Amino acid sequence: MNIDEIFDFTSFTIDREPHIVLDTAVCVGCDNRGCTNSCPARCYTWSEEEQIMTFVHDGCLECGTCYVVCHKNAFTRWRYPRGGFGVAYRMT
Amino acid sequence: MSKQYQAIVVGAGPAGSSAALTMARAGLDVALVERGTFPGEKNMFGGILHRMTSIEELMPDFWTKAPLERHIAKKGTTFMTAEASFNVQHETTNFDRAPYNGYTVFRPRFDRWLAEEAVKAGATLITRSTVDDLIYKNDRIAGVSILGRTGQIKAPVVIAADGVLSFTAQKAGLRRPKFNADQMAVGVKALIDMPREMIDDRFGLVRDQGFANEFVGCTGGVRGGGFLYTNYDSLSIGLVFHLASLRTSGKTPYDLLNEFMEQPQVAKLVRGGRLQEYSAHVIPEGGYNMIPELAGNGILVAGDAAALCNATGVNLEGINLASHSGILAGKTVIEAHQQQDFSLKTLKRYKERLDLSWVMKDLKGFRNAPKMLHIERIYNEYPELVCSMMEHIYRIDGTPKMSIPKLILREVKERVGLKNAISDALTAWRAL
Ligand SMILES: Cc1cc2nc3c(=O)[nH]c(=O)nc-3n(C[C@H](O)[C@H](O)[C@H](O)COP(=O)(O)OP(=O)(O)OC[C@H]3O[C@@H](n4cnc5c(N)ncnc54)[C@H](O)[C@@H]3O)c2cc1C
Ligand code: SF4
Ligand code: SF4
Repeated sequence: MNIDEIFDFTSFTIDREPHIVLDTAVCVGCDNRGCTNSCPARCYTWSEEEQIMTFVHDGCLECGTCYVVCHKNAFTRWRYPRGGFGVAYRMT
Repeated sequence: MSKQYQAIVVGAGPAGSSAALTMARAGLDVALVERGTFPGEKNMFGGILHRMTSIEELMPDFWTKAPLERHIAKKGTTFMTAEASFNVQHETTNFDRAPYNGYTVFRPRFDRWLAEEAVKAGATLITRSTVDDLIYKNDRIAGVSILGRTGQIKAPVVIAADGVLSFTAQKAGLRRPKFNADQMAVGVKALIDMPREMIDDRFGLVRDQGFANEFVGCTGGVRGGGFLYTNYDSLSIGLVFHLASLRTSGKTPYDLLNEFMEQPQVAKLVRGGRLQEYSAHVIPEGGYNMIPELAGNGILVAGDAAALCNATGVNLEGINLASHSGILAGKTVIEAHQQQDFSLKTLKRYKERLDLSWVMKDLKGFRNAPKMLHIERIYNEYPELVCSMMEHIYRIDGTPKMSIPKLILREVKERVGLKNAISDALTAWRAL
């Protein structure tokens, strides 16, 4: 299984309005960045050269891991997508 | 949109639908609000529906109507290292006869079916609606607001059955605003397509028999475990990680899942299958000590939202607890309507009901299980110990054999240390 190909095997109805919004300034000062390895969909990427955190909500599985793992409460918004949007499981 | 109901249930998972079904059967006008396009669209789990005695009471023919997969006739546990595995299995014809002890199911099908049963009983299902907040009138809960639609749904009482993160319970001030990563786990799962005959042959199953296996030692040193369950023509295979441990491990769930599926003995089990779906979800694994306030003025909390999940290390039980708590919450709301009092004074009867039920008794009985699950050595040293010991026992290489007690002692001393082993055994004993 290649996580880069998540859209090939899990369906999403992507909302243009992100349900998770990150204050990336907080991430710059984070001592742990547990979100980058813990997120099962690799939505968080930290660039060491540029010292920038990138968050992409498109392939978010709405699992809740980042919400629990972030010890700095870097979220300006963390909620579920609007009704009808987001991940759609068929068989799991 | 602003309609008046007698009760609102947030979330059409097993907890919410059971609550709605209970109340609708008693004639209450209930709204069951779900954010998915249909109930179950957002829900994943390992895959075993344990026996649901409380639903059987509501629907005696439950087992013949629900969309179930195979019944679990065979259970196994595997201790694993990168190279070796040691299995123990239990099989009994008792679990091969109705009433079956459990089934594999798919949540998008099962949850949808259960919600439809609530609708048949008279509940109003409102999908594609993410509840955003509680609304109050004169300091009393008066309903909920829906995200995006700037709509409101009104009722004097709300049941928060919105799952593990329960923002509804949080907004009511019933759960702590921040979770403890030590009390939470995340499960990731691959659904693998496989022809039915291949599954039957590979796992030694006939008719509709199913197999459920748990794994220890497969999580790259992160605290957690693995599972593999058989559906009719697919396998559910996945890993569960404790979040405090995963966070600092630097490892990713999908890399570890790939490694797990590539371990030689596991690779043989999944060979020939095709990945069909990948999913993930957080699990409240803190047990009894994690349970939030269960009731407030105008609000009750049921299922995962109330952390009613029992992770004993052998089983992961959630749906049965969710459903039972939902039924008890529903009964309490029915009573509140009879008395026309939705204050905590009446609603706290829910906690009393739960305390008397097997749900709380089980959680209380296993309150030390999370402690055991935090013994780091379970995830590396012990599986290695078991596998290496078995290898010594089975190996024939011209050297004299060591007696088994001596062998155990040597392995324990070498890999864990005697003192640790004794203390771990005590913790495990207390937990179980
Ligand atoms: C990996 C994994 C493996 C598991 N294995 C097992 C197992 O083998 N057996 C077992 O019995 N249990 C298992 N569990 C536990 C089980 O899945 C849960 O305990 C159970 O689903 C809890 O049911 P619930 O109704 O309380 O919550 P959920 O099933 O989470 O349902 C909550 C519902 O509320 C909806 N919702 C959430 N927020 C909102 C909102 N704001 N507005 C509207 N709707 C909302 C969601 O979409 C969802 O439908 C497992 C869990 C995981 C994650
Ligand atoms: S853990 Fe929180 S603060 Fe740290 S990098 Fe991740 S999101 Fe940012
Ligand atoms: S909710 Fe889960 S999948 Fe979505 S960003 Fe957070 S950790 Fe990743």
